[in-house]
Amino acid sequence: MENSTQLTVEQITQDLLPRKFGRRGKIWIGSLILICMIGAFAYYRQLKNGLSVTHMRDYVSWGIYISNFVFFVAISLVGSLITAIFRLAKVPWRTPLTRISEIIAVSAITFASIIIIVDMGRPERLLNLFTHGRIQSPIMWDVIVIGTYFCMSLFLLYITLLPDINIMIKEQEKLGKPFTKLYRWLGSFWQGTPAQEKIRDRSITILCILIIPVAFCIHTVTSWLFATTYRPGWDSTNFGAYFVSGAFLVGAGGVVVAMYVFRRSYNLEKYITDKHFERMGRIVVLLALLYFYFNINEYLVPAFKMKKPEETHLRQLFAGEFAIVFWFSILVGMIIPITILLFKKGRKPLPMFIAGVMVVVGAWFKRYLIVTPTLLHPFLPMHDVPENYKHYFPSWEEWAIAMGSLAGALLIITFFVRIFPVVSIYKTITDNNETVENK
Amino acid sequence: MKLLKINSTLPLFLALFISGAAASQDAIVKKPVLSLSYFSSDNKVQYLLAEAKWKIEKKYQPATGVTVSIYLDSVAPAFSLSEKNVTDETGKIKAIIPPSLKSKWDASAQHKFIAIASGIKEFEDLESEIEIAKAKLEFDTSTNGETKTVSAIITALQNGKWVPVKEIEMKIAVKRLGGDLKIGDEDTYTTDSTGTVTAEFKQNSLPGDANGNITLVAKVEENDLYGNLYIEKVVPWGVVFKSDDNFFNQRSLWSIRSRTPLWLLFMAYSIVLGVWGTIIYLIYLMFKVKRLGKVN
Repeated sequence: MENSTQLTVEQITQDLLPRKFGRRGKIWIGSLILICMIGAFAYYRQLKNGLSVTHMRDYVSWGIYISNFVFFVAISLVGSLITAIFRLAKVPWRTPLTRISEIIAVSAITFASIIIIVDMGRPERLLNLFTHGRIQSPIMWDVIVIGTYFCMSLFLLYITLLPDINIMIKEQEKLGKPFTKLYRWLGSFWQGTPAQEKIRDRSITILCILIIPVAFCIHTVTSWLFATTYRPGWDSTNFGAYFVSGAFLVGAGGVVVAMYVFRRSYNLEKYITDKHFERMGRIVVLLALLYFYFNINEYLVPAFKMKKPEETHLRQLFAGEFAIVFWFSILVGMIIPITILLFKKGRKPLPMFIAGVMVVVGAWFKRYLIVTPTLLHPFLPMHDVPENYKHYFPSWEEWAIAMGSLAGALLIITFFVRIFPVVSIYKTITDNNETVENK
Repeated sequence: MKLLKINSTLPLFLALFISGAAASQDAIVKKPVLSLSYFSSDNKVQYLLAEAKWKIEKKYQPATGVTVSIYLDSVAPAFSLSEKNVTDETGKIKAIIPPSLKSKWDASAQHKFIAIASGIKEFEDLESEIEIAKAKLEFDTSTNGETKTVSAIITALQNGKWVPVKEIEMKIAVKRLGGDLKIGDEDTYTTDSTGTVTAEFKQNSLPGDANGNITLVAKVEENDLYGNLYIEKVVPWGVVFKSDDNFFNQRSLWSIRSRTPLWLLFMAYSIVLGVWGTIIYLIYLMFKVKRLGKVN
């Protein structure tokens, strides 16, 4: 918040209080709701007719749903990156980014949980996991760790919101009535006394310390769903680190995109400054290089050996059926963003936004490549399988549900910023005061 | 002119192509085959097996969906073993001699079975006949020190009496899961003038069941006069098999939930309790914050 040193408390409050949607906002919400409704209709068809409406068959039993699940889990890690790591490292410029990353984390982990249920042909059997689940199974670990991470992310978001809720209750005349009851229910007890502040501060520190290993666990366990299965492309000891580094990259990319969109939509140039983009750009480059390094390990080493069972899988990726998607995800998801962001001019808001979009889109396709091609090339192929088992392209229902889930996650973020400040008012005022005092 | 030439040669090519294709179609000849076999199992259950096949270029393929009726001695509904049953995917039908034909079956030492096919055009009215003489197999075993001997005797019904039959080829084996295992060096044995074959049991280290039992079998296969005869006897000549229950009862990563490894339970519950304990503590702190707010 380099430019905000001249700002008054009233001005900061005025700038950061949630606002009603304009025309573009309403069109945006309408579009998201429409996509969600198409997704809901596709899911109704899936519930009615079973998983046969999908193009998943005996070979590809994890299709676009699980790719989407891995993507959501990955992007949810950003909450721990920005909030916890930056806080514990005492990064001074983190304030405008923490709320954005926290809500991205909550919305992503919510839809990660939902999409895994969608993948089940019989969703009511989810209960069996709790009544008959085996702790030996990585699926069980995933359920536990996702549930835990969801609760912690929600809790972290809530605790950091408390002072802002108090401000919004005080500013209810400006905000109007629609959410007053909600604000009162959530935080009327918060008065900002030193005793309350002390407990809140302590709680946030504990949560930040705890959420980092849980966040690492959530994506490591997700990687183990694959790595504990003996298949070409998954049989790797590198998978945990490979997944976690990729998750940090897509999460950081997602934050950059959200920073740009909120800055433009809410005129937050004084709060989300060029310097924030410059610094996030450096982080994204670092994370992209790290992920690129793990990709080299993951593909180049098996390709150098070209073991017979892995050969078909790797050839399909490098020069076969999946080559376009593979090279797209490598180039667009890593190499081009790295090239853009290595230059100072590339770390300006617009190029950063473009690079962020590239990272997120590339990451989505990367998850598809991790899940699907491997399933098409088992070590022991079945005899005389029908031709449609050997190829996979999602049905319209699968696309509709996947896109509906992405729209749903964006809808949560959109509604959140309608109700709560996208940048912490309280923390911005505190930072502003500290800066003035230091001067 | 050139166009005319093309136009006049095209029908010729077409005619040649079509006739060639038709000729190649005709070249594949499918010949229907119906066969009938008689089986006697343990001298108790007698049954017939009818098999419908296609003979295509010296190879046989099962003919499914062929309707086959099987009769005893003469073609009449009253003497039917199987009335219009349809062959399964292996092209076979099994028919047991029903109790209603017992008196007719007991009345003679020799019988004729007739199978008549229908339902599929090529099989229509195709017949197969076999004549069999009643025979039975009996088993005897003896142990003399380390030497174990198996004897089997085949007798045929002649003038109301069971008479030994010589020169009959027979198999004596141990019944195993994947097939029969010969008990000695010979694949088959031939009965002597007393209708008996004797073989030494040499499979001394063969795993048996929990009591060390194994099943011996004697078989006469596809004999022109007596058909297929089969008898078995359980003997305690195997090595007692002790199932390794310990393998399935141990705590392992692949076992059921009640046999989860203790180290995994300890680790998983420690982590879950540690993390959730902290979350519960934080919730408690939130209630404390709430109380402080109300007091003020």
